[in-house]
Amino acid sequence: MSFESDLLAILPRLRRFAASLSRDRADGDDLCQAALERALRARDQWQPGTRLDSWMYRIMRNVWIDEGRSRQRAARTFAPAEAGEHVGHAGDRDVEAHVMLSDVDRAMHALPDEQREAIALVLVEGLSYKEAADVLGIPMGTLTSRLVRGRGALLELLGEAA
Amino acid sequence: MTDIDEAMLIAWVDGELDEVTGRRLERAVAEDPALAERLEMHRRLRARVADHYAPIEAEPVPPAMRALLNDSGKVVPIARPVAPRWRSWTLGGAIAASLVLGLGIGRLSNNPAGPIAVHDGVMVAQGQLASILDTQLASAQGDAPVRIGLSFQRKGGGWCRSFEGQALSGVACRNGGSWQVQQLVPGAGPTTGYRQASSADERITATIDALIDGSPADAGEEAAAKAKGWR
Repeated sequence: MSFESDLLAILPRLRRFAASLSRDRADGDDLCQAALERALRARDQWQPGTRLDSWMYRIMRNVWIDEGRSRQRAARTFAPAEAGEHVGHAGDRDVEAHVMLSDVDRAMHALPDEQREAIALVLVEGLSYKEAADVLGIPMGTLTSRLVRGRGALLELLGEAA
Repeated sequence: MTDIDEAMLIAWVDGELDEVTGRRLERAVAEDPALAERLEMHRRLRARVADHYAPIEAEPVPPAMRALLNDSGKVVPIARPVAPRWRSWTLGGAIAASLVLGLGIGRLSNNPAGPIAVHDGVMVAQGQLASILDTQLASAQGDAPVRIGLSFQRKGGGWCRSFEGQALSGVACRNGGSWQVQQLVPGAGPTTGYRQASSADERITATIDALIDGSPADAGEEAAAKAKGWR
C-alpha cells in the first residue's frame, strides 16, 4: 500500500471530520482538500507504522485553525464579521449551503472551536478519549471538560435539554 | 447534579468508564429516574450527532480529491495535470490533441503505465519509453516501436535524446536517474513505411538546435554514453 492509497482509504472519514468542523459541506470539502494538499507536502514527516488517521486529523485541525485565524483577521480588517462571512462566496453556493444546513450543523457551528473539535473527534469520529486528547495535544481532563461543556451547549441549542 | 456526575454519564455513553465505575453508575441510574433520563438524553445526543454526519462516510470521494492523490503518486497519466497549462504552451493545439488521446487511453485501460509521468511537476519518461531512452542506440534500432533520432550533449552538460513514435515524439534529457521530457509533440501516426531520421518534426529539430552543444554523438560516442548510464 502506498501513502496515497492509505490516504484514499481513510478519505471518507476525513471528509466527515472536515464537515463536522466546518460551516457547511462545501466548506468541509474545501478544508479536506487543503488538508490533503498539506499532507502530501509534509509526507516525509509521517512516521510509517504510526497511525495515519491520527496524523491526518491533526493536519486537518491545523489547517482549520490557520484558516479560521485568517478568516478572523480578514473580517476584522475589511468588514464586519457578518459581512465577512459572505465575501468570496458565490451567491448560489451560499444559498444552497444555507438551505441544506440542518439543526445539527447550526448547533455544531455555534460551539466554540475547542468544544466543536472535541465533539467531532469523539462523537462523530468515534475516537477514544485518549486518541482524541492525543490528536488535540491536550490532557484527558481538559478533553473531558470540553466534552461536558460542548454537550451541554448542544443540548440547549437542539432543544433537548432535560 | 455536579459536573463530575455529568462527566461520568457522558463517559459511560462514550464507552470510557471502567467496569467498576460503570456498574456503580448503572446501579445509581436504576434507582434514580431523573438520572436515567439524563443518561438517555446524552445517549440520544451522541446518536443524533453521529447519525447526522455518518452518511458522508458512505459517499463517493469527490473526483478532485481522488485526482489529487492519484497525481501525487509515483506513476501518473500525463494528461490531467498538464491540461490547465495547455494555453501557455507555445506549441498549442497539436500537443493538446495528443494529450487528450493519452488521457483517453489511460482512462479506458485504467492503466497508469503510460509513457510519461509527472514527478514534482516535471514530465518524466517511464515504462517502455524510459527503457528505450536508456538502452536503444540510434545506430541499431531495427523495427523498434519508438525510434531514437539523435543523442547529443546539451549546453551546460548532460545527455539528451530525441525520439519518434507513432503516438508521441519529443526530446528528453537525462536528469538524475530519469529522462526529463523537454518537448512532446504528436507522433507520426500509424505508418507502414520506413521513416528516415531526417523526417523529424521541425519543432523537434528546433528544440535540438536550441539545446545542443556542438554536434550530435556518433555511434561510438552514443554507445559509450549508454555504457556509462548517460551520466
